[in-house]
Amino acid sequence: MRTPDTAHPALRPLVVTFVGALFSVPLYVVVANAFKPGADIAPSPASFPVPPTLDNLTAVVTRSDRLFWVSLTNSLLITSLSVAVLIVLSAMLGHYLARTGSRWGRVATLVLLSGLMIPPQVILLPITQVLNAFHLMATVPGLILFNVGYYVPFGVFVFAGFVRTVPIELEQAAALDGAGWFTTFWRVVFPLLRPATASSVIFLGVWIWNDFLNPLIILGPSSGTTITTGIYRAIGQYQADFGTVFGLMFLSTLPVLALYLALQSQFVKGLTGGAAKG
Amino acid sequence: MATDLRLRPPAKAPAATAAHRRRGRRLRSGLGRFAVFGAPGLLVYACFVLAPVLLSVGYSLTNYNPFHPPTEFVGLRNYRRLVTDDEFLTALKVTVELTVMLVVLPNVLGLGVAMLLDRKGWFYNAWRGAFFVPVVLSSVVVSVVWTRLLADDGLVNQTLGWVGVAPVGWLSDPSLALVSLGAIMAWQMLGFCVVVYLAGLQTVPTELLEAAAIDGAGPLSRFRHVTWPLLAPALTINTVVMLITAFKAYDHIQVITQGGPGSGTTATVAFVILQTGFTANRQGYAAAMAIVMLLVVATASAVALRLLQRREVDL
Repeated sequence: MRTPDTAHPALRPLVVTFVGALFSVPLYVVVANAFKPGADIAPSPASFPVPPTLDNLTAVVTRSDRLFWVSLTNSLLITSLSVAVLIVLSAMLGHYLARTGSRWGRVATLVLLSGLMIPPQVILLPITQVLNAFHLMATVPGLILFNVGYYVPFGVFVFAGFVRTVPIELEQAAALDGAGWFTTFWRVVFPLLRPATASSVIFLGVWIWNDFLNPLIILGPSSGTTITTGIYRAIGQYQADFGTVFGLMFLSTLPVLALYLALQSQFVKGLTGGAAKG
Repeated sequence: MATDLRLRPPAKAPAATAAHRRRGRRLRSGLGRFAVFGAPGLLVYACFVLAPVLLSVGYSLTNYNPFHPPTEFVGLRNYRRLVTDDEFLTALKVTVELTVMLVVLPNVLGLGVAMLLDRKGWFYNAWRGAFFVPVVLSSVVVSVVWTRLLADDGLVNQTLGWVGVAPVGWLSDPSLALVSLGAIMAWQMLGFCVVVYLAGLQTVPTELLEAAAIDGAGPLSRFRHVTWPLLAPALTINTVVMLITAFKAYDHIQVITQGGPGSGTTATVAFVILQTGFTANRQGYAAAMAIVMLLVVATASAVALRLLQRREVDL
C-alpha cells in the first residue's frame, strides 16, 4: 500500500493526528489530573491544569504510611532481582536446550514452552501451598521465585531461538583453545546473545513491574504492596480523593515510561523479530 | 544428555581402555553441564509451575476446602457439577464474548491504524510510539483512568451531554458493562497489534504492489490480493496473543467491575476461579474450573495456530 498519496497529500497526516489525539485522551487525563487540585478532577477531567499544582505529588510522597516509597522499593527490588535471575537461568537453559541434540532435551523444551500459555489462575491456588511448604508465602523472595518459575519459559523461548542463529563453530574454537564449557559460555556465547538479553530484560521488566494478580495473592496484605497493588489499595481507601490517586498513578508510571522511551526501538525489535518470521 | 547416559553395561566392557576413560570423562562433563546449565531453570519451573498444575489436577478430584476438613476424594463429581452450574456457564459465556471482542477489535482497528502509519519519518514514528504507550502501562492504571472516564458523570458522558445525548451507564448498565470492559482492554492492547502489523507491512515488497497497480488493480484489490495474504504471520501472532490475553483477563475486572453490575455480568472464568478458590475457599471445585480453563485455552490456541498458519505463504 506504499503507493504515494496522490489525490490529497495532506489528508493522511490530518487523519493520523485526529485518530491519534482521540486515542491519547486517557493518557492526557493521567498527566493533566496529576497536576490539578483534587476537587477539580471529577467536574472537569479534561481541562488543562493551569496553574499546575504539585500538591498531589507532594501529598503522595509525604504520606504518613509511606505507601508510595514502600511500593516503589518493593517493585524495584522484585523486578530487578526477578529479571536478573531470569536472565542468568534462561540464558544457560536456553543455550543448553538449543545445543543438546537428545530426545530428553526436546521433551524438556516442549514441556517448558507449553508453560507459555498457562494462565496464572490455574496455578495460583496450589502455589500458596507450595510456597507455604518452603515458608515463603507472603514474602518478597517467594514472589521472586514464583516470577522466575512462571516467566522462565518466555526467557528460554527467546534465548533458545537466538542461540540457534549463533554459529556453533565459535564455541568449538573456544573449546579447542582449552576453554572449559563454563568459561566458553560466559566469555564467548553470552556476549553474543546481547539482543536476546535486551528483549528479555525489556519484556520481563515491564511484565513483572505491571504484574497485579500475582503480588496481590502471593504478597498478601501483610508484607507491603508493589506499585500496582499499592494503587489498588489507595483507590479502596481514598475513593473520593482523586488527587492522591492520580498523583500516585503518574509517579508510579514514570519509571516504566522512562524505560520505554529510552529503549523504544528495542521494544519494537523485540516484538517484530517474531512477526517477520511468523 | 540421553546419548551420554546410554552407557553399555559394564559386563561387555573389558578392561579400562583409553576410549572408556574418555567416555567416562564425557559423561561426567555432560552431567556437570546439565547440573549447572539445565537443572536450575528446570527445577524452579518444576516447583512453581509443573507441580502446581499437577496439584490442581489432584485437588480437582477432591472436595478440598481449608476451612471444612476432612478432604475427601470425590472422583469426577466437581466436573459433573460444572456442567450444570449456572455461575460457571455464565462465566464461560462472558469469557467467550470478551474473547471475541478482544480478538476482533484490536485486530481490525490495529490493522487500520497500521496502514495509516505505514510511512517513513519522525511524524509517523512518534505516533507509533504513542499508540504503544498503553501496552507498557499497568492494567491497574488503565482501569482506574477508564473508570473515571466512563463513570456516569465522567468525561465521556459530559462530552455526550454537550451534543444533547442523555448519560449512558457505560459501567453501571448490566447490558453494557461487558462491552465497555472489552473496549477498555482493546484500547490497551491496540498498540501491540499496530506494531506487529506495521512490521508485517514492511515485508510487503513495493515492486509487487507496483506490478499489481500496472496490471490495473485498484487499491482495494491490491490490499485484498497482495497485502492481506502477506500479513498472515502478523494476523497469527495478534490472534493468538489476544486469545490468551482474553482468557486470563483478571486485573481490569477486579478493579473496574468486580464481576458486576448485577450478578456475574462481567465475571469471566478467570475471575470466578479466584472468587471460588480464595473468597469462598472451595479450592477443590475451583481447581476443577481451572483445569477446564487450561484445556480450553490450550485447545483454542492450538486450533487457532493451526488454522492461521495454514494461510501463511512464503515469498
